[in-house]
Amino acid sequence: MKIRRLLQHFFLPHHSNNHRSKILHLDAMLSYVLILLVFNLGLRFVHREYPQVLGYAIDIRVDQLLAETNAKRQSLGLAPLELNTQLSEAAAAKAKNMFEKNYWAHTSPDGDTPWQFILGANYRYTLAGENLAKNFSDSHSLVEAWMASPTHKDNIIKPGYREMGFAVVNGILGGEETTLVVQMFGATEGQALVSSGEHLAVSPKQPEIPEQSASEETPVLAQQQTGQAGRTTVLSENLTSVLKKPLLDMPTVTHNVVFVFVGILMGVLAVDALVVARRGTVRLSGHNIAHILFLCAILIALSSVPGGSLL
Amino acid sequence: MKSHAIHFAVLVGILVIGISAFLYAYGDRSMQLTVGILTSLAYLAWGIIHHALEKDLHWRIVLEYVLIAAIAVVLLMTIIS
Repeated sequence: MKIRRLLQHFFLPHHSNNHRSKILHLDAMLSYVLILLVFNLGLRFVHREYPQVLGYAIDIRVDQLLAETNAKRQSLGLAPLELNTQLSEAAAAKAKNMFEKNYWAHTSPDGDTPWQFILGANYRYTLAGENLAKNFSDSHSLVEAWMASPTHKDNIIKPGYREMGFAVVNGILGGEETTLVVQMFGATEGQALVSSGEHLAVSPKQPEIPEQSASEETPVLAQQQTGQAGRTTVLSENLTSVLKKPLLDMPTVTHNVVFVFVGILMGVLAVDALVVARRGTVRLSGHNIAHILFLCAILIALSSVPGGSLL
Repeated sequence: MKSHAIHFAVLVGILVIGISAFLYAYGDRSMQLTVGILTSLAYLAWGIIHHALEKDLHWRIVLEYVLIAAIAVVLLMTIIS
């Protein structure tokens, strides 16, 4: 009986809670904000200090990335790309540079562009591009996320490319264990000449990067983001795959907590609105239906967020 | 009653625009967070204006919309950051 009254007090409008479910009172909602903030900070702390306990479960391999990328191209009638050792070396150099200089961007804080890494690997390109990603769980979801992003998709389905290279590198970025994936695309002089004739009708938008002006132009990249201060260490032993399985997967934990919390909140708001409408109770409060609509929009938005980050 | 329906149609419009902008910024987390914060502020503004027009605006109601918007922003930060 006592438990029933307690549940009624917390979850249903009743005279004991001034006709508003207790968990919807202002002090309760303020405590949710504070608890969620502490949860947020706690997650980051545990991830930074104990990545083997709370981290990103990762299974990314270059052979899978190559197959997935080529499958996307072939589904659009485009020729598959060859894996190129020099482009893979350029991608590895870029990934190492990001860890060493601690940044997450297409251009380094010193102004090093992707084109410099490609040229540094002795790949004389006429057309080149770069896709970056971090902390994705597997190769399939990563390629799907690239395809869902217009700027990254443009690179994957650009007809002019003939080759690509990958680096999958684990290290410490911004003080947190991070898995970076660098995907470099390219075509050399003879290859590009062939491509312009073959595929112009499929994709007329081909922002080519002349070799002599490569350091100035970035037409195939997304926007730049500055790195953070912190340790800079490369942890990977090889640059072709990263396999990690922490005790708790960070995206799974955050998604579960957030979706369960919002689900309960929306459920209580709905029940509260129904009971008040049925009883014809007059009270001073916001509109539950408006709150539910707003929280629905937030859930729709959050469910679209990919597991990792793109650049 | 009719004005009530119009107010809610405006709210749905705000939310649809917010979701569309959020999806458009796919892959750009800082932009998505900005869109989420702006949508939350728009929701807060909608709540205040709606209750002012309904002539039942009270500081407790404003605080309720502030807290719902704050919860949304913290949830966005938890997933996006």
